[in-house]
Amino acid sequence: MFPWIDGFQWSVGHIIFLSLFFAVVLTILVTIASALWRTLSDFRTHRATEICWRMNFAELPDAERYCRHQLAGRVASRICDNAFECRQCLKYPEFVALPAKTPSQNVGIDFSNKLLYHRGHTWVRPEDDGTLTVGLDELAHRMIGRPDSVELPVKGSEIECNGMAWRMMKNGHEIQVRAPIEGTVVCTGGVEDGWYLRLRPRGPLNLRHLLRGAEVCGWLSGELDRLQLQLSASKAQPCLADGGTLMPELMDAMPEADWDTVLAATFLNV
Amino acid sequence: MSELLLIDRRWIARGVERSSTMRFLLWLVPWVALLALGIYAAGLCLYYGLNQTNMDNRFAFGMWIFLDLAIIAMGAGAFFTGFLVYILKQEDLKPILNSAVVVGLVCYSGAVAVLMVDVGQPLRAWFTFWYPNTHSMLTEVTFCISCYLLVLILEYIPVLLRNRQLRKVPSFLIFEHQLHKLVPVLAAVGAFLSFFHQGSLGGLYGVLRGRPFVYRQGFAIWPSTFFLFILSAIAVGPSFLILVTAAAERVTGRHLVKPGVFRKLGLISGVLLAMYVAVKAVDTLVWLNITSPSLGFGPRDYYSYWPISSTFLFAVTVPLGLFPALLLIMPITAGKRGWLLFGATLACAGVLLNRFVFTVQTLALPTLAFDDFLQYSPSWQEVATFGGVIAYGVIVYSLSYRYLPLFDPPKGADPNVSVD
Repeated sequence: MFPWIDGFQWSVGHIIFLSLFFAVVLTILVTIASALWRTLSDFRTHRATEICWRMNFAELPDAERYCRHQLAGRVASRICDNAFECRQCLKYPEFVALPAKTPSQNVGIDFSNKLLYHRGHTWVRPEDDGTLTVGLDELAHRMIGRPDSVELPVKGSEIECNGMAWRMMKNGHEIQVRAPIEGTVVCTGGVEDGWYLRLRPRGPLNLRHLLRGAEVCGWLSGELDRLQLQLSASKAQPCLADGGTLMPELMDAMPEADWDTVLAATFLNV
Repeated sequence: MSELLLIDRRWIARGVERSSTMRFLLWLVPWVALLALGIYAAGLCLYYGLNQTNMDNRFAFGMWIFLDLAIIAMGAGAFFTGFLVYILKQEDLKPILNSAVVVGLVCYSGAVAVLMVDVGQPLRAWFTFWYPNTHSMLTEVTFCISCYLLVLILEYIPVLLRNRQLRKVPSFLIFEHQLHKLVPVLAAVGAFLSFFHQGSLGGLYGVLRGRPFVYRQGFAIWPSTFFLFILSAIAVGPSFLILVTAAAERVTGRHLVKPGVFRKLGLISGVLLAMYVAVKAVDTLVWLNITSPSLGFGPRDYYSYWPISSTFLFAVTVPLGLFPALLLIMPITAGKRGWLLFGATLACAGVLLNRFVFTVQTLALPTLAFDDFLQYSPSWQEVATFGGVIAYGVIVYSLSYRYLPLFDPPKGADPNVSVD
């Protein structure tokens, strides 16, 4: 194999054969090294979270990827092809100029026009001091109730939009909540506070990607429909809703439900 | 038990329907039993030596090599599909690519495992790399198969890392993303390696001057069998993919790929098979009329022994060659699933018979005046070892189907979209 190994010959056939072999091995090794290097580079340049989110977003079912403008009734049907990153969406100005057709009605779950919502069931509230408060929306709150444990990021840590903001455990199920915005954690709250994180935004504040107004109404309405279907008895036929509102502590009330699937769909996990 | 069910469900992709855990476990039981028997038989061979087999100095190649050659040929669907998708940009075959990688990985790793038992002394396997005999076709085969197995593992890793639980580890997902972007390089390397080792497996026989039944003239250092083995492998590879996918559809009761994918694979297989039959016919005529007589052998010396007769030559060429090629090409038959599967089955049977002829029939035929026609039948250890390989293949494919996105393309936008 090498000149110093017994049996090596300086013949043309020998050299050509081994050169081809080493070229192939080198190509394979360079390919592996290159993939590893690029992986490390993605982590160093803070692109890892965005890549992970985009890859996971691509695996979500269509029903979880509707464009916000469809939710608001501005377009008849549109699947987001931008991983909910409206800040980079070239079509956003064109669509947002259209009138919203989704009526603002009581969908059976509270939401505030003062809050901006992320599809991962978190809300953002800009504060006067320039920080942003982040909390769980009413639907997620009613579903989970009081979590068994909450693992919040430490003060000063950086979180990325659509990356994991905090982790909760409830009845043996792990819940990873996606961050609605990127920034530095300046303060942490909890269930009793009604909010979980206070962030100092990174760079100029741009909250364009968060839902508001009619979009929230359309989105929550769809989410309630999904929840109703997912929690209905197995093999049950579609039926008319009989009214009522979402009860609190839903995970405790229905422990036999397929919560893995429900939680994944609620918090945008695959 | 409920914990096991929960764990099983958590590893299956969300929104994907799979059989119940119990049903899946019941499906695995016979295959695990067969794998255990295979491991036991292989252990006997490794511990006691090849006296556990019915091979001897005359039949140095037996059932293992015959079936190794066959599954390596049928596993060619992996490299050829990768070549078609990544190099020739046949995007419509993409839905079957992951499945092709698993089939290739199973075929090649299974073949290498059997070779390890056959050659023996696996702890000294590195000798073949450290002290290569560059004049031997087997050295080329060893080098290429080892490298290609590594390529297949690398191609399998992105599929594996897209599992629902594994993808939760960010570094795994990013590595998958980056490795996936480099898969075209691996596909090109795989095509290069496969081209040469499929050829060298044929060349291995073609250079045997002392065996006029397989000795062939050719081009430069390569006998005609070098090219015939490549052509037959890339011809049946897609057919085997059709059969595996159809079997998976039958077992799971689901439509896994669009009929158009089957049709295209069938057409590729049929055209290449027709080309193979044409080249094989010319090669046979040259061999029977020029090469073999020049070595003092005529057709009677090969085809007058029962049970091996000229029927085998006819079978490989017409009912298992030309006929399936026509079935796979003609729209009237290829458009019907039953005929398409029948054609693919015959094509795979053809390559099996072809590799049997080259391996077993070659060694059975006398080459010297005092030689006799010998018969060989495998021992139970040989059969069980190969049974273990088949069981291993079914288990790996079943687990991959259950927990990995073999046929389920991303539901949304291209996951490899740039974020720059």
